[in-house]
Amino acid sequence: MTRKSQILAACLLLLAAVSSEVSADGLVNEDVKRTVDLGTHLAKITAEIVLSNQGQSAVNSFILAVEADLAPHLAYIGASVKGDEEEDGTLELQQTTIQSQSGVFYKVQLPSNLAAGAQLKTKVEMTFSHVLQPFPTHITQAERQLVVFQGNHYLYSPYPTRSQTTRVRLASKTVETYTKLGNPSKNDEIIEYGPFRDVAPFSEDTMKIHYENNSPFLTISSITRTIEVSHWGNIAVEETIDLRHTGAALKGPFSRYDYQRQSDSGISSVKSFKTILPASAQDVYYRDEIGNISTSHLQVLEDSVEVEVRPRFPLFGGWKTHYMIGYNLPSYEYLYTLGDQYALKMRLVDHVYDDQVIDALTVKIILPEGARNIHVDTPYKIDREPNQLHYTYLDTFGRPVLVATKNNLVEHHIQDVVVHYNFNRILMLQEPLLVVGAFYILFFTVIIYVRLDFAITKDPAAEVRMKVASITEQVLTLVNKRLGLYRHMDEVVNRYKQSRDTGALNSGRKTLEADHRTLTNEISTLQARLKAEGSDLAEKVGEVQKLDGQVKELVCRSGQEAERLVAGKVKKEAYIESEKTLTGKRQELVSRIDSLLDAL
Amino acid sequence: MAEHHAVSDGKHKASTNAGGSVHGNSRPGAAGGGGGKGGLSGGLTQPAGWQSLLSFSILFLACLAGFSSRLFAVIRFESIIHEFDPWFNYRSTHHLTTNGFYEFLNWFDERAWYPLGRIVGGTVYPGLMVTAGLIHYMLNLLHITVHIRDVCVFLAPVFSGLTAISTFLLTRELWNQGAGLLAACFIAIVPGYISRSVAGSFDNEGIAIFALQFTYYLWVKSVKTGSVFWTIGCCLSYFYMVSAWGGYVFIINLIPLHVFVLMLMQRYSRRVYIAYSTFYIVGLVLSMQIPFVGFQPIRTSEHMAAAGVFALLQAYAFLQYLKDRLTRQEFQTLFFLGVSLAAGVVFLTVIYLTYTGLYAKIHIPIIASVSEHQPTTWVSFFFDLHILVCTFPAGLWFCIKNINDERVFVALYAISAVYFAGVMVRLMLTLTPVVCMLSAVAFSSVFEHYMGDDTKREKPPAEDSSDEDDKRNSGNLYDKAGKVRKHVSEQEKAEEGLGPNIKSIVTMLMLMLLMMFAVHCTWVTSNAYSSPSVVLASYNHDGTRNILDDFREAYYWLRQNTDEHARVMSWWDYGYQIAGMANRTTLVDNNTWNNSHIALVGKAMSSNESAAYKIMRSLDVDYVLIIFGGVIGYSGDDINKFLWMVRIAEGEHPKDIRESDYFTPQGEFRVDKAGSPTLLNCLMYKMSYYRFGEMQLDFRTPPGFDRTRNAEIGNKDIKFQHLEEAFTSEHWLVRIYKVKNLDNREPLDHKLRSVVPKQKYTSKKTAKRKRGHIKNKLALRKGKKLQKK
Repeated sequence: MTRKSQILAACLLLLAAVSSEVSADGLVNEDVKRTVDLGTHLAKITAEIVLSNQGQSAVNSFILAVEADLAPHLAYIGASVKGDEEEDGTLELQQTTIQSQSGVFYKVQLPSNLAAGAQLKTKVEMTFSHVLQPFPTHITQAERQLVVFQGNHYLYSPYPTRSQTTRVRLASKTVETYTKLGNPSKNDEIIEYGPFRDVAPFSEDTMKIHYENNSPFLTISSITRTIEVSHWGNIAVEETIDLRHTGAALKGPFSRYDYQRQSDSGISSVKSFKTILPASAQDVYYRDEIGNISTSHLQVLEDSVEVEVRPRFPLFGGWKTHYMIGYNLPSYEYLYTLGDQYALKMRLVDHVYDDQVIDALTVKIILPEGARNIHVDTPYKIDREPNQLHYTYLDTFGRPVLVATKNNLVEHHIQDVVVHYNFNRILMLQEPLLVVGAFYILFFTVIIYVRLDFAITKDPAAEVRMKVASITEQVLTLVNKRLGLYRHMDEVVNRYKQSRDTGALNSGRKTLEADHRTLTNEISTLQARLKAEGSDLAEKVGEVQKLDGQVKELVCRSGQEAERLVAGKVKKEAYIESEKTLTGKRQELVSRIDSLLDAL
Repeated sequence: MAEHHAVSDGKHKASTNAGGSVHGNSRPGAAGGGGGKGGLSGGLTQPAGWQSLLSFSILFLACLAGFSSRLFAVIRFESIIHEFDPWFNYRSTHHLTTNGFYEFLNWFDERAWYPLGRIVGGTVYPGLMVTAGLIHYMLNLLHITVHIRDVCVFLAPVFSGLTAISTFLLTRELWNQGAGLLAACFIAIVPGYISRSVAGSFDNEGIAIFALQFTYYLWVKSVKTGSVFWTIGCCLSYFYMVSAWGGYVFIINLIPLHVFVLMLMQRYSRRVYIAYSTFYIVGLVLSMQIPFVGFQPIRTSEHMAAAGVFALLQAYAFLQYLKDRLTRQEFQTLFFLGVSLAAGVVFLTVIYLTYTGLYAKIHIPIIASVSEHQPTTWVSFFFDLHILVCTFPAGLWFCIKNINDERVFVALYAISAVYFAGVMVRLMLTLTPVVCMLSAVAFSSVFEHYMGDDTKREKPPAEDSSDEDDKRNSGNLYDKAGKVRKHVSEQEKAEEGLGPNIKSIVTMLMLMLLMMFAVHCTWVTSNAYSSPSVVLASYNHDGTRNILDDFREAYYWLRQNTDEHARVMSWWDYGYQIAGMANRTTLVDNNTWNNSHIALVGKAMSSNESAAYKIMRSLDVDYVLIIFGGVIGYSGDDINKFLWMVRIAEGEHPKDIRESDYFTPQGEFRVDKAGSPTLLNCLMYKMSYYRFGEMQLDFRTPPGFDRTRNAEIGNKDIKFQHLEEAFTSEHWLVRIYKVKNLDNREPLDHKLRSVVPKQKYTSKKTAKRKRGHIKNKLALRKGKKLQKK
C-alpha cells in the first residue's frame, strides 16, 4: 500500500506539474462524489464536486470534461451550484477546447467570482445514451439480456482531485464481471469504488461492468413533432414516431405460446409503455399507416392525460415499429397575445416514455397564415432549417412552418420553446369570407344559368310547340272551369227543387249564362290563336266547343224539367226518367270531351 | 349511440319514402295528396315551384340517407379499407396519386405474383382509381388536405348518393316523378346495393352501379329524343362504365337486345336508328381505349351480339329505304329472309356465349371456390331486397301493360338481371337497381289509386276547378311519361267501388310495408354488411366490445420487421392484404390470373414439409403466412379452406396431390386422431397446429382443442425441420413462419479418409496435352516420317 501511495504521489507530482500548465487558475476538486446510474438503458452520471480555488486570483468559471470515448454519446450535461440555503442555481455551459487533450470540454460560468482559497459545491449531471452495449448481442426469447458498460473509474477533469468516490447503481443483482480497481464493495445492485485520493488531472481508468439489464431498451430513432396553431382556438399536435428496441436482438423463433404462458419469457421485450400528454389534451388518436392501433388505453388524470401506448406487437430486440399519436389542445393555454403580437409557448419535445432516448428530432411549428416577424427562443441549441410553407383548408398563400432538428435527446430536453410572431387580426376574416364568396359565386352562376337562355340555336318549331302547349293548357283550364259551372248549376237546380225558389233558379241560370258566355268566348279566342299558330288542335277545340254546346243545352233542359216538376206539370216518375236520360247523355258528352282533351 | 343515429336515420327515410309517394305522385286530377299539401298549396302562387322544391329535398334526403346509412363501419370501427380487393384498389390508387397517371398505366408490380410480376396498368379497370385520384387531386388543389385513404373510404357512399339521383332520373323517364323519387329512396337504402358500397368497400362495383344507371338513363333519353347529343352523353357514360367494371358487358348486351326487341315489336323508328348507330360506333371506339379491354370488343363472343344488332339495324334501315322502291311482294321475301337469318345468328351467338361462360364458371375450381360465385338462394333474394322482391313483378306488369319504347327496355333489363342474379350471388348487384325502379313503379301506381281523392270529395266543386288548374300546370311540367293524366269525371267513375275505408287501409298497409322495409334495410346494413373483416369484434356478456386486431398486428409486424424484399407465401385470399398492409412481395393474390402458380402454392401447403421445402426454395419464399382460427373459433381460416387448396393443386399436379388422401376412409375431413395421415402431416396442418397441442384453452376441453372444428387435434407433436415460427398474433389468428436457409453441410461423424498416394504425383500430360497446345496437332519432326498419333 505504501509503495502504491508513493507511486501515486510521484504520479501526482508529475501530473501536478502538467496540470499547473493547464489549469492556471489553480482550481482543485477537493471532494468528488460520483454516482453512475445504470439502472435503465441510459447511463446517468452525477458528480457532486467541491471546488476550491487554490490559486492566487479569483476565478469566475471552471471547466467540465467528458472522456473522448463517451463524448459522442453525451445527450445532456448540466451543472448547478449547491448552495447551503438557497435553491440550486443552474449554471450556463459553453463548449470550449483544451489544447493537447482529448475529450469534450465545457466552460461553466459561475454566478459569482470564486475568491482565492474559497470553496464551492457544484453538482454536474451527465446523461449518455447508447453506452450500454448488449453482450451477447443476440439472445433467444427465453434468455435474459446482459449489457456491458465501459466508463471511467475517475472523474475526468482538468483539475487534480483530492478525494473521490464512485458509486455504480445497476439494474439487477446479477453481475457477470466488473473491474476491481481499489477493491470495490458490491452490495445487491450497488458497487462502490474508492475512495481514491489525489487523482491527477485527466486521469482515465477503464471501468467495465457486465451485468443483467432487462429494462426496456427503447430508442426513438426518429420523431417528427408537428404543432399546428390555429387562431380559432385550437392547437393540434401530432408526433410521428419510429421506435426501435436497441437491446440484444432476438435470435431464433418467437413463440407466442411461451410468451403467453411463461411470465419470464421475453423479459426484455416491450409490451407497452405510458406516454404522458398535457392535461388539456383532447381527441387523442394513436394510429399508423394501416389504421387505428386498437390496443391502447387512455386515462385522464388530474394533471395529465396518460396514454397506454401498446404497439401492435410486442417489441423484441431488434424489432421496430412506427406510429403516430396526435391530440388537440385549447390554444388559450399556450398562446399569449398582446395586440398584434402573439407568443406561443409549447414544449419543444414532449414525453413519450420514461427515460426516453431520441436519436433524431424534427420539430415543425405551423403558424397561422399571415404570421410575420417570427422569432424563436429555444431553451437549448437546436438546428434551424429554412422555413417552409404549408397549405391546408382554405389557405391561399400558405402558412409559415418553422422547422428545427436536433439529435440525441433525453428527458432533460423536455423544455418550453417560445415562438413570437405578429399577426393581423383582420386576416381572421379571410377564411369565412372565402367560404361566403364561394357560395355566392355558386348561387350566382346557378341563377344566371337558370334565368338566361344559352341555347346556341333557335328552334322555331319548339317555340311554336311551347306556345301551342301553353294555349292548350289555358283551353283545358277553361273547359274544366266550364264543366265546373254545370256542376254548380246542377246544385242550384237541386236546391231549387227543395226550396222552390224560382228567383234563385233564375239568378243561377243568369250567372251560368253570363259565365258560360265569357268562358266560351275566351275559348274561341284561344281557338283562333291556335289556328293562327297553324296547329291542328284548333279543330279539336272546335269540336269540344260543339259538344259543350250540347252539354249546355242538356243542362238548360234539366233546369227546365226541374221547373216543370216544381210547377207540377210533370209527374215525378216521368221527371226522374227524363233526368236519367239527360244525365246519361251528359255523361256521354263529357266523356267525349275528356277524350278530346286527352288528345290535346 | 351510433347505431341509434343510423336507425333513426332509417326511420326518417321511411317517412321520406311515404312523403315522396304522397307528394310526388299527386296526379294532376287529384287535389293534393294530403292535408299538409293542401294547406301548403292554399297559400301558393306557384305550385310547380313547391313541387320541385319538394322533389329536390326528397332527393337530397335520399342521397343523404344513402350516404349516412353506409357509415356504420366507420362509426363502429374506423375509416379503414375493407376486405380483400379494396386493399389492392387502395394500393394502386396510392400508387397513382404518388407517381402520377402515366406511371400508373405503365406500372409493373414486381411485388405481386413473384417471380412473374403483374402488369397492373394493363390488367385493371382504372376507373375507380382514376376517380378517387382525381377527387383527391381536386381537393388538394383547393387545399383541402384529405388523405387519399379517406377519399377511398368515402367514395362508395358518395357514389351511392349519385346512384340515387341517376335512378331517380331513369325512373322518371320510365314512369313519373313520384315513382322516380320512390326509386331513389329505395336504391339509397336497399341492402343488395349497400352490400357492395359501404364506406371502406373501395371496389369497382361501388362506382359501377352509378355508371350503369346513368348510362341507361342517357340511353333511354336518347331513344326517346333521337338526339345525337344524348347519345354521345350515353357513350361517355358507357366509357366510364367500361373503365370502371367488367360488368359493362351487361350494358353492351342489354342495349342491343333492347334495339332488337324494338325491331321485332315493329317499334323501329329513326330515333332508335340514330341512337343505336351512334352508340355502337362511339361506344366501341371509346371502350377500346381502356388498356385492359383493348381489342376485346371486336374479338370476343360477348361483344358479338352488339355488332350483330348493329348490322341488323343497318339492314333493317336499308330495307325500310328499299320499301319505297320495291313492290310489296319482293320486299316481304327479302325482309323475312334477312331478318330471320340475322336473328338466328344473334340467337346462336348468345346461346353459345352463355353456355361457354357458365361452363367456365362451374368447372374451374378456383372460380367455384369463391363463395360469391355460388348460385343465389331464395333467402338471399329476400335478405337483400326484402319487400321489393315481391312488388317488383307488379311493377313489371304495370310497365308491360302500358308499354312504350323505354318500358320495353326496363322489362328486358328486369328479365335479364333476374336471370343473372339467379346464376351468381354477386350479380344480385345488377338486379337491385331494376328491382328498386319497378317496385317504385308498383308502389307509386298503388298510391295513385288509393290516395288523394278523399280530400277532393270534401272540397266544393267550384274550388275544385281552380285547384285543378294548378295541378294541371304542374302535371304538364313533370309528367313527361304522358298518358297517366286523368280527369275528374273519369276518376269518379274509376273509384266508385272504393270506399274511404279500403283506401285508408290499403294506404296504411303500404306505408307499413315501406316502414318494415326501412327497418329491415337498417338492420341488415348494420349487422351483415358493416364489418371491415380486417378487424374483428367480439362482444362480452356485459356488452363491452373486444377488438381482435390480429390481422393488422401480423401484417404490420411483417411491414416493420422483415426485409423489404422478403417474399411471403400465403393462400391467395390474403395476397392483396399482404401487399397493401404489409407492403411485402406475395406469390399469389386475389387477381387469380395464373392458376398454375396458385396450384403450386396449394401444392406446397398440402405436401409434407420436405416436399414443401423444395417448392418453397424454388419459389424463394422467405415467410409463410397462414390464418388459424382454432383459438378463437374463427371459421374462415385456412384449414377450412384447405380442401380448395388441395383441389386446385390436384388440378395441376394430379400425380402428387390427390384429394382422397386427405379424407378418412369414411370420406370425412377430420383434423383429430381419426384424420388421414396425409392431412396430419401436411405443411398447412403442421403450421396451423404448431405448439397448439400444448395449449389448453379452458378447463373443460383437453389441450389442443380446436374451437372452430370442435375437435382435439390429432397430431400434437409437431416439429419443424426447415421452418421456424417467426410470429404469431395475439389470438393466434395469423401465424407467420420463416423458411430457414439451407443448413450448413453436416459434419461427418468419421474422419476424412486420408489416402496416401503411393507414389509422387507426376503429371501424365505429355508435351502435346499440356496447356497451350492444340490437341491432336500434328507434331513435326525433322527427319522422320509423318505419322499420326
